[in-house]
Amino acid sequence: MFIALVPAYNEEPRIGSVVRNLFSHVDKVVVIDDGSSDNTAVVAKDAGAEILTHSLNRGQGAALETGHEYARNVGATHVLHFDGDGQFSVEDITPALNHIKESDADILFGSRFLDSRSNVPWFKRYVILPLGRIINRIFGAPKLSDAHNGFRILTSRALEHVHITHDDMAHASEIPILADRAGLSIVEYPVKVRYREFGQGPASGLRIVSDLLFGKFVK
Amino acid sequence: MLILFQILFVLFSLFAVLSVYRRRKEGLLGPKGTIFWILFWLAVIIVVLWPDTVAQIANVFGIGRGADFVIYSAFVLLFYLVFKLHTKIESIGRDVTKVVRKNALKEKD
Repeated sequence: MFIALVPAYNEEPRIGSVVRNLFSHVDKVVVIDDGSSDNTAVVAKDAGAEILTHSLNRGQGAALETGHEYARNVGATHVLHFDGDGQFSVEDITPALNHIKESDADILFGSRFLDSRSNVPWFKRYVILPLGRIINRIFGAPKLSDAHNGFRILTSRALEHVHITHDDMAHASEIPILADRAGLSIVEYPVKVRYREFGQGPASGLRIVSDLLFGKFVK
Repeated sequence: MLILFQILFVLFSLFAVLSVYRRRKEGLLGPKGTIFWILFWLAVIIVVLWPDTVAQIANVFGIGRGADFVIYSAFVLLFYLVFKLHTKIESIGRDVTKVVRKNALKEKD
């Protein structure tokens, strides 16, 4: 079973179409409503998704791990991480799934830099993401062309090893680190990202570094 | 003769010892924490009343003035406490997440 995990926090205007578009590419869509104050859960449910509800907002990493736990319980063979804001294209899903199967890999990371379809803002392309790559390397992540991309496919084997502990955005660095540490085989695949707005600025980048650093001292 | 700052600091320290005692009674402080904080505030009282004692300790460490020694130590202690608090808060946050996750999965069943 191929399950799409869609963490969503106050995505009421977009979540419905994201869920409907996903259905032709996966077996099941699970939306993790991360303590939204709007009708994200209702809209997603009406669109046909299974809903897991966080009673409090715990962050994207926490929501994904809740999805992982659910996927482990129901015995998913593959899970897809897919953002709830509509920044990814569903057309990338099936070719990516085929790619991870053909290459017999355990985990697939989407990348904006393996083709020219994503219109990455220059500050992000030349400042934020190169810095992200350096930080990831310092903390022991494998070399990836795209430091932080929310499009991922994990096999059941990867799910066994990747238990996300970083509740916020630092999970995007943590996942490749855990995958590498567990000796999982990693592949990258070009995906298209549409930019609605700027996304993560320098401040949230600093936050990730601090989370990674302090996370080292938390049991 | 005691100067004003000494009176204020001693009063504050006594108040702090009292509040440590109260926290202990409420069960919010463990035995180690209680002993540490009582000794800490007693040390503050000693230093305020007899500043020469720190000057002697400072000399042992090769620091010129007693006041400098106090400031350096305070910095180290504060940084350590901020670090400890930060990791504690992070770990509480993770516990909260575990509870939220458990409930989310239970509701689904």
